[in-house]
Amino acid sequence: MQNPILENRKSITSYTAVWIIVMLIHFLLLTISGKVTISFAFVESLITNLLFAIIGLGLWFPIFYSRSDNQKLINTFLNHLFACVVTVGIWVLLSYVMLVSLFQSNTGYVSYFRESIPWRSGIGVLFYGVVILVYYLIIYYRSFRENTIRESELKALVTESELNSLKSQINPHFLFNSLNSISSLTMIQPGKAQEMIIKLSEFLRYSISNKEEKLTTLLAEINNINRYLDIEKVRFGKRLTVKQVIDEPCLKLKLPGLILQPLVENAVKYGVYENTGESVLEMVCNCNSASLVIILRNEFDPDFLYKKGEGIGLQNIRSRLRLLYNRDDLLMIRQEGNIFEAKVIFPQQ
Amino acid sequence: MEEIKAVIIDDEELARELIKNYLKEYQDIRIIGECENGFEAIKTIAELKPDLLFLDIQMPKLNGFEMLELIPDPPEIIFITAHNDFAIKAFEMNAVDYLLKPYSQERLVAAVQKARERIQAGVSPGDKLYRLIHQPLAERLERIVVKSGTKIKVIPVDKIVYLEAQDDYIMIYTEEGKHLKQGTMKYFEDHLDQSRFIRVHRSFIVRIDQVTQLEPYSKETYILKLKNGACLKVSRNGLKNLKEKFKF
Repeated sequence: MQNPILENRKSITSYTAVWIIVMLIHFLLLTISGKVTISFAFVESLITNLLFAIIGLGLWFPIFYSRSDNQKLINTFLNHLFACVVTVGIWVLLSYVMLVSLFQSNTGYVSYFRESIPWRSGIGVLFYGVVILVYYLIIYYRSFRENTIRESELKALVTESELNSLKSQINPHFLFNSLNSISSLTMIQPGKAQEMIIKLSEFLRYSISNKEEKLTTLLAEINNINRYLDIEKVRFGKRLTVKQVIDEPCLKLKLPGLILQPLVENAVKYGVYENTGESVLEMVCNCNSASLVIILRNEFDPDFLYKKGEGIGLQNIRSRLRLLYNRDDLLMIRQEGNIFEAKVIFPQQ
Repeated sequence: MEEIKAVIIDDEELARELIKNYLKEYQDIRIIGECENGFEAIKTIAELKPDLLFLDIQMPKLNGFEMLELIPDPPEIIFITAHNDFAIKAFEMNAVDYLLKPYSQERLVAAVQKARERIQAGVSPGDKLYRLIHQPLAERLERIVVKSGTKIKVIPVDKIVYLEAQDDYIMIYTEEGKHLKQGTMKYFEDHLDQSRFIRVHRSFIVRIDQVTQLEPYSKETYILKLKNGACLKVSRNGLKNLKEKFKF
């Protein structure tokens, strides 16, 4: 991570300007005190302040790399105490070496420098403190800004996916076609029509009342999926066969509500709506203590599949899984020959 | 009163049953055939020559509109579908009526009545329909149906390499072969996705990601090379289009 002061020209200029001001004050105070000549005062203020300006830039690295949110206050304090002593020591030593080697002819200056070591150290500590403070301010400001941005992005994502999921909850064509089938059944098999109305109502109630952010049990989800599939079976007859292999203990495990529904609808769409023959929809649920795994398989005709890439439906599921579990790898899509497979993993706490 | 012969095309059995039940008591209309997909429909229509079709739009593989494209002289059509977004297209194709599922018996009988009036007036919808079908409709083409002999093929537009005009026909070159289809360059230019296809000549439309190279041929003329090795002439307008697309 680059030093934030060196990141752009403006901050470099401000940093330089501050040090020039400090240097001038230093120079003026020295001149007024009358302990050294003007040229000594000038060289000394230039060299000592330049040195600290450079050391100050370097102080970014220990701060940035030792930064940790759960460090104890006392540890941070001790670290800085130590860093401060070392920094000031190096600074005073380097100033001494450079100035004394420049003015070695002047014994008065050497003794003046030695006398002034205590207050130099004091000023060094002050400088150290100010520089560190500035860095901390920069770091906090940055993370504050990042957090605000991330938060607003997250909010936008949540609203968007809520909207999309609302839109995709009930497919209107499914609804109207089912109603049409019911209309037909009332004339030929009224009993079956009634049965289908009840199933459709239950399916609609579940879809409308289910809060998407809440977790529900696999049992509840499977029951709802079966209502949907039963209705589709009435519509399509022999064209749809459903095979389910579900491990009994999985049924009480948790998963987000209605998240499988779009996958099932997808499977029916490509397996049945877009297929002239008979087609099998397979659903397998496995689980262990760490996760619930659901696999959906359907046949499709690759020659007639003309849409490339992932549709909105799959993207929606991905973003919901990301929001809920903070992982990107929970939904896996595979196509092999004329088989389409979707696999979803739901981590269990 | 003359009897109307009708064919029902819908992939759901109960939907077909409903039409039959609604019309059972009417003697002047007879259902002579039922089809559960577009392929069957093409065959049945050719064999039985019905006066009227009850046609669903969403069907496997070949949708209702695509099926119609393959019938040279289609009868009168009553669309019956759950989709409300195709009504404009349906009427542009001179449909008698457009029924939204679920619908009442009265509604269907009224539609049949309209069809009867048309049939008795003797207006042939066919020509008009066939002409209209090739007219620009504000819809993007994602697949093209072609007929070769008795076989029907659906070509996803992403499989097209380029199109070449040949009189009243268009030769569609794909990665696997070529297919002839009636139509105009204008139609395909308007309906193919402009981010994926580009017109480079009066006679050529090319899929953009098939382009490999553009070479000068003579003064002011260029040759465009494609991935499959084809070399196509580029007109001045075509060059302008290419320049806009590739920004050179």
